[in-house]
Amino acid sequence: MATPAALPPLPFNPSRVRSYVLRLPLFTRLVLLAIIVFWLLELQTVWSVKQWGSLIPEEINIGTMYRLNTYPFIHFGFFHAFLNLLALTPLLERFEAEHGTLTAVALFFGPLSTFPAGAYIVIERFVLHRNTEVFGASVWVFLLLGSEAIRTFKSNPYFSLGPYKIPTWTSPLFACGLVSIFVQNASLLGHLCAIFVGYLFGLGYLKVFVPPEKVLRWIEGKLNLLGRLPHYVSVDQKTFGRYGVLPTTTAGGERATPMSYLGSSQRLAAIRKPRSNPHFLFVHLPHILSFICIVAGVVWLLLLPLNDYSRQTYISENALLPGQVHAYFSGSEQHIFRGYKKELEAILERQTPSEQDSRNEEFTPAVSDEIQSILRAAGLKVATQKYEYTSSGITHQGQNVYAIIQAPRGDATEAIVLVAAWKTADDELNLNGVSLALTLAGYFKRWSLWSKDIIFVFPPDSKSGTQAWIDAYHDMQPAFVQPLPLKSGALQGGLVIEYPFDHRFESLHILYDGVNGQLPNLDLFNTAVSIAGGQMGIGSNLQEIWDHNDSYEMRLQTILRGMVKQGFGYATGAHSSFMPYHIDAITLQPKGDGWQDEMALGRTIEGLCRSLNNLLEHLHQSFFFYLLMQTNRFVSIGTYLPSAMLIAGNFTIMAIALWLRTGYYTGLEQTAVKPPGTAEETNKQAATLTEKSGANTAQQPAVKTVSSSIIERQLALPLTLVVSLHLLGLVPLYIFNNINHQYYPTATYASIAINAILPSVLAASLTRGLTTTPRDQSQQSLLIKSFSLLVLGLFLSTLATLNFSLSFMIGLLCTPLSFVNRIDSRTASRPVRSVLAVAGLVLLNVLSPPVVLLGACRYSGVDVETVLTQAAFGWDVWGMWTQVVVWCVWWPAWVTGCALLGFSLF
Amino acid sequence: MTVFSLLSLLFLAAFPSLASANSDYHESLVLQPLPQSALLASFNFQSNDSQTSFDERHFRYFPRALGQILRHANTKELHLRFTTGRWDAESWGPRPWKGTKEGGTGVELWAWIDAVDDEAAFAKWITLAQSLSGLFCASLNFIDSTRTTRPVVSFEPMGTHAASDNLHLLHGTLPGEVVCTENLTPFLKLLPCKGKAGVASLLDGHKLFDASWQSMSVDVRPICTQAGDCVVQIDQSVDIVLDIDRSKRPRDNPIPRPVPNEQLVCDTSKPYHSDDTCYPLESTSDKSWGLSEIFGRSISGSCPLTEGSTDGTVCLRVPHEREVHATDGAVEVKRPDGYTRCFTLESSTSFDLAIPEQEATTQVPLDEPVLRAERTIVGHGQERGGMRIIFDNPSDTNAVDFIYFETLPWFLRPYVHTLQATITGRDGLRRQVPASQFIKETFYRPAIDRERGTQLELALSVPAASTVTLTYDFEKAILRYTEYPPDANRGFNVAPAVIKLSSADGGASHPIYIRTTSLLLPLPTPDFSMPYNVIILTSTVIALAFGSIFNLLVRRFVTAEEASAMRAQTLKSRLGGKLVALRDRVKGKTAKTE
Repeated sequence: MATPAALPPLPFNPSRVRSYVLRLPLFTRLVLLAIIVFWLLELQTVWSVKQWGSLIPEEINIGTMYRLNTYPFIHFGFFHAFLNLLALTPLLERFEAEHGTLTAVALFFGPLSTFPAGAYIVIERFVLHRNTEVFGASVWVFLLLGSEAIRTFKSNPYFSLGPYKIPTWTSPLFACGLVSIFVQNASLLGHLCAIFVGYLFGLGYLKVFVPPEKVLRWIEGKLNLLGRLPHYVSVDQKTFGRYGVLPTTTAGGERATPMSYLGSSQRLAAIRKPRSNPHFLFVHLPHILSFICIVAGVVWLLLLPLNDYSRQTYISENALLPGQVHAYFSGSEQHIFRGYKKELEAILERQTPSEQDSRNEEFTPAVSDEIQSILRAAGLKVATQKYEYTSSGITHQGQNVYAIIQAPRGDATEAIVLVAAWKTADDELNLNGVSLALTLAGYFKRWSLWSKDIIFVFPPDSKSGTQAWIDAYHDMQPAFVQPLPLKSGALQGGLVIEYPFDHRFESLHILYDGVNGQLPNLDLFNTAVSIAGGQMGIGSNLQEIWDHNDSYEMRLQTILRGMVKQGFGYATGAHSSFMPYHIDAITLQPKGDGWQDEMALGRTIEGLCRSLNNLLEHLHQSFFFYLLMQTNRFVSIGTYLPSAMLIAGNFTIMAIALWLRTGYYTGLEQTAVKPPGTAEETNKQAATLTEKSGANTAQQPAVKTVSSSIIERQLALPLTLVVSLHLLGLVPLYIFNNINHQYYPTATYASIAINAILPSVLAASLTRGLTTTPRDQSQQSLLIKSFSLLVLGLFLSTLATLNFSLSFMIGLLCTPLSFVNRIDSRTASRPVRSVLAVAGLVLLNVLSPPVVLLGACRYSGVDVETVLTQAAFGWDVWGMWTQVVVWCVWWPAWVTGCALLGFSLF
Repeated sequence: MTVFSLLSLLFLAAFPSLASANSDYHESLVLQPLPQSALLASFNFQSNDSQTSFDERHFRYFPRALGQILRHANTKELHLRFTTGRWDAESWGPRPWKGTKEGGTGVELWAWIDAVDDEAAFAKWITLAQSLSGLFCASLNFIDSTRTTRPVVSFEPMGTHAASDNLHLLHGTLPGEVVCTENLTPFLKLLPCKGKAGVASLLDGHKLFDASWQSMSVDVRPICTQAGDCVVQIDQSVDIVLDIDRSKRPRDNPIPRPVPNEQLVCDTSKPYHSDDTCYPLESTSDKSWGLSEIFGRSISGSCPLTEGSTDGTVCLRVPHEREVHATDGAVEVKRPDGYTRCFTLESSTSFDLAIPEQEATTQVPLDEPVLRAERTIVGHGQERGGMRIIFDNPSDTNAVDFIYFETLPWFLRPYVHTLQATITGRDGLRRQVPASQFIKETFYRPAIDRERGTQLELALSVPAASTVTLTYDFEKAILRYTEYPPDANRGFNVAPAVIKLSSADGGASHPIYIRTTSLLLPLPTPDFSMPYNVIILTSTVIALAFGSIFNLLVRRFVTAEEASAMRAQTLKSRLGGKLVALRDRVKGKTAKTE
């Protein structure tokens, strides 16, 4: 065995399992292999293995007799195959060991497959007149159980259960009954046929089919099977049953066939080799595992758009009944709509020229008064709310106007919100949207069927107005936001109306992303799609993809755009502010140039309000975590989560491996004592040394103690460094959220410069300042990396459950950090080290947070200042957490990675 | 001049007549148009039976079913309310009957029960609630100990009770109860004319329950004169606020479709006015309506049992100059106040009223409410929340003193120490002040889990021209999963708070009652669907992964030799070794001797 110190013990004893598996005889192996191969073949969809090889009574004719032999190899799923494998392996192994490989081949390709199949077909087709297909190795399992039971019966005829004596040969029947009770689709008849044949075989009636020993011996001798085939069980090698034979009768000489023994032991050694090689175990294996995790995570995400991994959307909450009511919003309401619109336009025109220049489209008091008077005339309760936010030196202030339709017989316990912001999310004048909301307010007021109050909110903009309103609604408002004078009950849903142009529209663009990547209940989105599409004949779009042809690329693009929005976590519209309070909301934006007019949008909203009005309880049925790839296809969290988890897991794996490595494996330490050699050689020598450690006493005692003892970890420096770097992240977090907006580009460039210098300075000061041995330095650099990656993995895997996209993006950007190491001074000469380290540092700097930000801005053509102002606004007003993740999770990990490379310079 | 001071005057005037008549029956209907095309209709039915005949189980006008229940439950005074909707004080002014004949949303019941002690009273109370539950087809049987309180100062007996009686006041509410026709039918059956004749013939479930606000009440109380003549009075009332537009819609076509283009009332003065553009004009005239139009039927004559119909049964509160068409034969009496006219019905002919649309010149003045109160739940999340109660005193001169009474279910656990008050003057400035500045007295009875709810009674005073906001935090208890009702979980209803104002003019005996709206309390709910499963599964996986990783990290790996060496060094193992050696020796010896 390898050195005990090098091999952490596993929870179960793997050596026994391994030796059992390694000793499996040839035919058993082949059968298992065939089963696995057929299972894998079944995974593809082009050629149905099941259709080809299963035992279908009607299909059996001369040309398809092969089915009589192929059906035991075919399974219909992983669990079917796996359970049958588990059951079959010991039975078949015993059979082969008792009868020899050749006999097993002859019997299992002959009578033991065909007889049960034949019996099954005869009964199924001619007695029962059915045509159920069967397949699976369970036929052999029950057959072998049957023959075993007969043998048991011969030696031990009865179980005694109290006064009753149960014959032991019935036990397979019990098993068969249990299986058919517990396993769906288990063929009782097939199993019974198999047991019957098994009984026959056990009673010896099938002996005639066993090839005579003489013939077998002759074949064996002629072909030298024993010498050529590994794990071959010879005719002479048979163990004669489980009771064994007396040692004296064992043909000792023949048993130990030198060739076969040699072969197996070589293979054993090959498998054991990597385990006994600590360098592989501690250095290479984690890298391989991490890499596999990353690749698997990315591939997983790329698989999601496929039909097999995504699902069709459906309405989960039955109370919604989307599109089940007739919408009456039409006719003369359109005249009123035009009247309101003209009135608002007139007010905009009336504004003085000086006002018109700068604030032509502003939400002036005149507009606010007009909206209030219209709402009051319609009989709604109207109130206003002033607010003021300051972020990055910019003041955002305004006045929300809102009005409540009190449900006629309601009790102010529940409410629906309709929002029409004066400015849309894209900062366009939402004149049609506001007029539509005003018309709807008058129209809804006449209905008596509302079970919930309906609140109409008219904020001056889509960014801050709704946030101020919803904060005040829950009494969580900051000091410069007025409390609401008028309130209703618990909000059950929100709809935002945008209609920023004058022409007719073609389709509806539905915005659903909330702050911090929170999403509304999928039912709300589905209801909107279903009412717009099913009832009104309006198509829906999402994520600004206008020509979605349902191809893989389009689906992937939709998912990725959704992930980018979710990852950044900013408010995409007025609806986003509702999400933190667990109020589901979406924005409806008309897009394109078609033949749908504002009345169609009004009817869609009427239908949506009627659906929400039906709700008996808060939306909870459907998904809150999903990725949409099409208006009617989505992936749920269970399917997509592993992708981000795998990426986060790669850091954790590396961190744990490094921790173990620092404690048990010194790596290249011996080079200091021993003459120079390659790392591999040294390790081998160390391994052999430790293996012999029991006997060896004199040779090189110094080396031996170093490699076999447990190493103490120097934790103080690594822990301090990692913790303080994470705390240091608060500094840029504070700066980027609090300085004036005009300094943001400067601050970005400054942070790039600091990022370039900081790791090297850190490395230099740590190397110079602390006098430690090179060995300690190496260990400490590994520990620093371990802690940093551990924290990163921990954060990212937790974040994946909250904001999948952000975790995935940061995880991908951090992947190089798993593979950066301090380049050891003993493996490379100084110039090589320096060149490598500098190259690595340059590459890493390309992936630093500010550089990535600049790159993304350049790519999407947005100004850095705008992005950072928006981010600071998000932090101040929306409660956005993206910056915290960037500066307190990503940045510290990045600095640590760079510092590790920097160590190699000194 | 208050609208309803008249009613209360009527009410007061009833007292002397009671003394003379041992047994009588009155009914009345007061109609008053309210702003925003609303119409308040107050039905009142009052009958008296003498105490002696009541005790002898001789019922004339008093409903036998109710009388038996009251006797069985030793109930001396009973008040039962069925209410739906909310009274819009901002538009509709003060409440009918000064709020004394309405309850909180759902069902509210309070009674004075004669019993030796609290337990006996509670047993009788449960009997009463169960019996009334059957009588009125309401879920009153769900009033159990958790929903029962014993208010201290919020309610006072309305009747005269003998000092010897050991009376207990018990109060229970069912805020989530939906009041509907199955409650109206038994209610009408208690009337002497059963809704077949008299003003009660207007009460049709379809129209009644289409009202914007509606309240039904039953009050039973004993009234004694100085002379010792006692009567048992049952006072039933139905108050509804109808939307005239909505009620006038034909029953076979109730959908408020957009009006045809030519019927749109537009502001033609607007420059952009055209055939397809219309800025709607607010109509200033009063809408036309008639009894049969609004209630779907006319009054089928007076109830023949009505006695002393001197004042007219149907009263209408519109300015005298307004044109009103009544059925011929009805006697119209105009009251001197300028706004009230009453009609006396004939027993045989049906009666109808119609008011044509006319330009409104004067309006019946509505009183300013004495106090506005609003109660909402603030905060969010599954664990805690806050209650915010706003009292607004619109008067510029007088402070308002009142009793604030609220009952909270046990799963809402208030933190009374967080009770804070803010006062906002007309200038809009908010000031944090100690709550004791407004709260003169507090009665607080904390909840016991699953046994009784919280009872909080505060004597408050709100200064003139200011708004006082009280807030306190609460915690939401986690219910056992069997304690969730099996129906759709929209949250749990919290009963409305009751505010009792001692009215300025009438003294303490005629208080004004105001009730806030009920509240919806969302509690953490087990949801055995996907998110719940996902959370459980993820937690399990993380726990398992954490366990093994933690194990791997903290375990110290040593060789077998080292381990045995270490084990040999511990005291326990050394002792164990010695014991084994000793046992071996003993065994060896015994073996030898055998």
